[in-house]
Amino acid sequence: MRLARFLGYRLLLAIPVVLGIVVLNFFLIHLAPGDAASVLAGESGAASPEYMEQLRHKFGLDRPLATQFGVYLLNMLHLDLGYSFRNDSPVGSLIVDRLWPTGLLMLTAFAAALLIGTLLGLVAATGRNSWRDAVISLVSLVAYATPGFWLGLMMIVVFAIRLGWLPTSGYDTVGADNEGWDEVWDVGRHLVMPAVALALFYLAVYARVMRASVLEQIGMDYVTTARAKGQTEARVMVGHVLRNALLPVVTMAGVQAGNLIGGSIVVETVFGWPGVGTLAFNALQSRDLNLLLGIFFVSACLVVVINLAVDLVYVCLDPRMEL
Amino acid sequence: MARVLRNAGTLQESSGLSRTFDATDLSRRTILALPLGLAAAASGARAAEPKRGGTMVMIVHPEPSTLAHYAVSAGNIPPIATQVYEGLCTYDWDQNPQPNLAKSWEVAPDGKTITFKLQEGVTFHNGKPFTSADVQYSFMEILKKYNPIAPVMLAELVAVDTPDPMTAVLRLANPAPYIMKALSGRDLPILCRSVFEGTDVLQNPSANKPIGTGPFKFASWERGQFVRLDRNETYWKPGLPYLNRIVARFIPDAATRSAAMEAGEAHFAGYSAVNYADLARMKTNPILDLTTKGYEMTPAQSVLELNGRHPHLQKKEVRQAIAYAIDRKVILKDVMFGYGQPATGPLSRKFKTAGLYTDDVRQYDVPDRLDIANRLLDEAGAPRGADGTRFALHLEVNSFGEQWLRQAEYLKQALAGVGIAVTLRSEDTATWLRRVYTNYDYDLNEPFLSQGVDPVYGLNKQFLTSQIRKGVTFVNDTFYSNPEVDRMLGEGAREPDAEKRAALYKKVQQVLAEDSPMIWLIDVQYVSVFNRRLKDHTTGPLGTQQAFERAWMDK
Amino acid sequence: MQTALARFASNRLALAGAAVLLGLIALVALTPLLYPGDPFALVGPALQPPGGQFLLGTDTLGRDVAAEIAYGARTSLIIGLSATGAAILLGTLIGGLAGYYRGGVEVALMRLTEFFQTIPAFVLAILIVAILSPSLFSEVVAIAAVSWPGIARLVRGEFVALGGREFVLACDGLGAGDARIVFRHMLPNCTSAIIAVGTLLIGTAVLIEAGLAFLGLGDPNVMSWGLIISSGRAVLRSAWWICAFPGLAILLTVLAINLVGDGLNEVLNPRLRER
Repeated sequence: MRLARFLGYRLLLAIPVVLGIVVLNFFLIHLAPGDAASVLAGESGAASPEYMEQLRHKFGLDRPLATQFGVYLLNMLHLDLGYSFRNDSPVGSLIVDRLWPTGLLMLTAFAAALLIGTLLGLVAATGRNSWRDAVISLVSLVAYATPGFWLGLMMIVVFAIRLGWLPTSGYDTVGADNEGWDEVWDVGRHLVMPAVALALFYLAVYARVMRASVLEQIGMDYVTTARAKGQTEARVMVGHVLRNALLPVVTMAGVQAGNLIGGSIVVETVFGWPGVGTLAFNALQSRDLNLLLGIFFVSACLVVVINLAVDLVYVCLDPRMEL
Repeated sequence: MARVLRNAGTLQESSGLSRTFDATDLSRRTILALPLGLAAAASGARAAEPKRGGTMVMIVHPEPSTLAHYAVSAGNIPPIATQVYEGLCTYDWDQNPQPNLAKSWEVAPDGKTITFKLQEGVTFHNGKPFTSADVQYSFMEILKKYNPIAPVMLAELVAVDTPDPMTAVLRLANPAPYIMKALSGRDLPILCRSVFEGTDVLQNPSANKPIGTGPFKFASWERGQFVRLDRNETYWKPGLPYLNRIVARFIPDAATRSAAMEAGEAHFAGYSAVNYADLARMKTNPILDLTTKGYEMTPAQSVLELNGRHPHLQKKEVRQAIAYAIDRKVILKDVMFGYGQPATGPLSRKFKTAGLYTDDVRQYDVPDRLDIANRLLDEAGAPRGADGTRFALHLEVNSFGEQWLRQAEYLKQALAGVGIAVTLRSEDTATWLRRVYTNYDYDLNEPFLSQGVDPVYGLNKQFLTSQIRKGVTFVNDTFYSNPEVDRMLGEGAREPDAEKRAALYKKVQQVLAEDSPMIWLIDVQYVSVFNRRLKDHTTGPLGTQQAFERAWMDK
Repeated sequence: MQTALARFASNRLALAGAAVLLGLIALVALTPLLYPGDPFALVGPALQPPGGQFLLGTDTLGRDVAAEIAYGARTSLIIGLSATGAAILLGTLIGGLAGYYRGGVEVALMRLTEFFQTIPAFVLAILIVAILSPSLFSEVVAIAAVSWPGIARLVRGEFVALGGREFVLACDGLGAGDARIVFRHMLPNCTSAIIAVGTLLIGTAVLIEAGLAFLGLGDPNVMSWGLIISSGRAVLRSAWWICAFPGLAILLTVLAINLVGDGLNEVLNPRLRER
């Protein structure tokens, strides 16, 4: 009952929150100098005042800001995210088209990083200051600090060009028209390198946070007590330490998950992966405000939901925490 | 290049007159850069019979925002759009018009009427037959109204008559022989009247699902990934095209584009989609080759603009001093990796073919150029201070690609050598364009200017007094205003005699080189990288911006 | 203090990290002596491999890579440290307030955090730099703005957990003031997590700076490791040294900071000591 009330409360709260985010974003984006018409005109290189006026009128930029905002808000309430003039498509369909590749990449990398990272952190912490701790710390730090584009490119050079095992880039083999399991295999092959590149990066975060967190827990009184009681080391670890140590890990995971929709621009760019990250980046560069706002909106919804989920997980992990 | 502009321009020429073409007009460097096998293929000698079938993957960068190149003149659209749309003519290596959708044509003696006899048996991809009504509608209702280059190219077009379905007559207010150079599918494409009639042209759904007469039909566009074009089974040229399919792939990262070529995943990368830095490695790759052909009708220059309202920069001596201070050869070597040539003036060397280029102008690349620069600055009343600095300027860095920052960094060092302290300002595209072209809040600017095929387009936009238009990008932002140049450019647009025209433009170049309102750095050379299995891809001076109808894949 | 230092020194890895950091600081201090002149100056032929006159080679325009790295160290460290410092301060403040006071305060502050989280990180950074115009300052602001939500949520989570603990309830019951509880009891228990994430953040800050420099949104008049890496990216496969050496510098710096952070954690947190 308590749970249902909590959920209801939070979801209800989510609506004004998301709305508030949209409002703030609208005005934030308008602070950036320049507009979509001048960018488009600039790229086409043959701008006349008439042409730019046509563009501005088409984009609705010639109306006062308050009007533009009002129209946008009204559309939002109908879940109409507007039209991206630059891409000549409704914003909604543009984002939806990219949601699957983004989700696939991020979730794969994320899950791998979380699982492996937490495991490594645990292993490092239990063997503290031994050489396995040192190796794990070093390796994860190296993975983290290596520039993403360098790592990506090296992987492409080795695995795609030299060895020919994997394709260089893209979501699937263009023009191949694969179906069913062929398509799954094709996409899978394309997924390997970007997911690994991304996972290596996140790995370090989880390994380090987990390690620090486990070390902290190990030093606590209840662990000493449990050992004194004669519990096996494994039991102590899994039954007690793990649950408590996971708390900050869950927090970080929640934070990262919120970024899921933003994707990783570097990895998406290097591997030509059609994700939301590059969509957002291009939208910003071309001042395609409708598209950018649409992405922020979807991202806002996702973050709100994930934060809610994280709070629920907290309660599961630590009964002393109150909703 | 991360960004490509194109303008359509034309050569002043009467159609029907054969033009004497001097082989030495081609820059020697262009010829030497070609491996011999390609030179032979380009001149028409085929080593083998074309094979049917196959999918060609070409890299287009960056991804276009639309495929409606009749309304948007960005250079990355035509490689895709010209597979679908065609024009009345194509062009041979001498840049003479050749029949395409127009079987033949005749220019009236007074130059005010051009009668086109159209090709029979042509249908659009939607099955509608191609008639003169389509020509009329395309020119008058779409191109003249919405094409960004039309205000120059179609300025004299008054009407298009259609006496019968296979004849279209262009009626001009004044002779405009340069139109004959702009009739390609790239510059003035023919669209299907029934698709656009009665609709809002700019909102028409066929913008991104083009319907044309070309050798390939639009199949699909996966945004962020590729555009797919399938073979037009009912293409009017018998036996063509050979390829089954063309896929235009979009790969945001430069190194990945190179990798895709090296791994054999992509077969063609034009418009310098592959970075200049990687070209040396491409050349040594056994499956690849490269060519600089196909860009003869796409001249472009990298320039340094000087704000003519700045207290120091309004003095000619200061501007000339800056021109002397810069060693273009360093930019050519270190930024362009040797591709291109040092510019001498406002017209690129590619205009040599048309006889409009001259290098008989003030030379800034002389051995004692630094001494001259320092002397000029001293004389202009800008002596060195105690720390060696004369005055300070801001340089706006072109936002369209990373190599422009390298160029800007070099320019900063070069000017430091003569005592001008330069601070670089690097902003994103929207901010940069607004700052320079709307607010005029700049001292030095380094844009990249496309010059089209005729000086009418390139020169007028940059140097006519009337082109000082606030808020419009890539037009006269140096505030250059010279009545003599205004007059000569105006006359040059209308001058029918080739020699007189050449003389006019020669004078323009001399005056401009002397006044130095901007500094012309490099005549840019685009490069195409291709897989050796792909044959007959570059068949004319428009290169990737004309159809790959004769291209074929060897097994 | 004596024992703390001794304890730190007994951790060999932390010691190594500290040594590297000290070396870095020394490099920053000695740079004008070692490499007099402008690091942007074109001093040699372009794309020279390492060795000979130029120990680390030259870049695409003919600048000395070693000089660039030396001068870049200062910039990258300033950006890394100040951005992370700001993020930690702001994040701890907001997260702490939210986690301690709960109720309406928590709701409001967490929603503020959410606002910053919803915008994809890199996009937000670019947006801020675009609005403020590229400069060292706008880069620091952008990186801090992107980094603080993670810290805030971390601290808030820890505070919420700690709030239910017996010792805190006991303190409260004894009448200890809020400030005392927070600073003497709750914050110290968060430090290990904060340090763990914070040290990584410094590395992130340097990497984001590299990314911004690559996009042309860094300050092109100031030498930084990011600028070197981005200038070498186009020639990565032929002139590997231009990216490799600043990359190595970033790696060593991040490594050193993290090792020192671990050492600090041990010293500060008695429960992490050897059993």
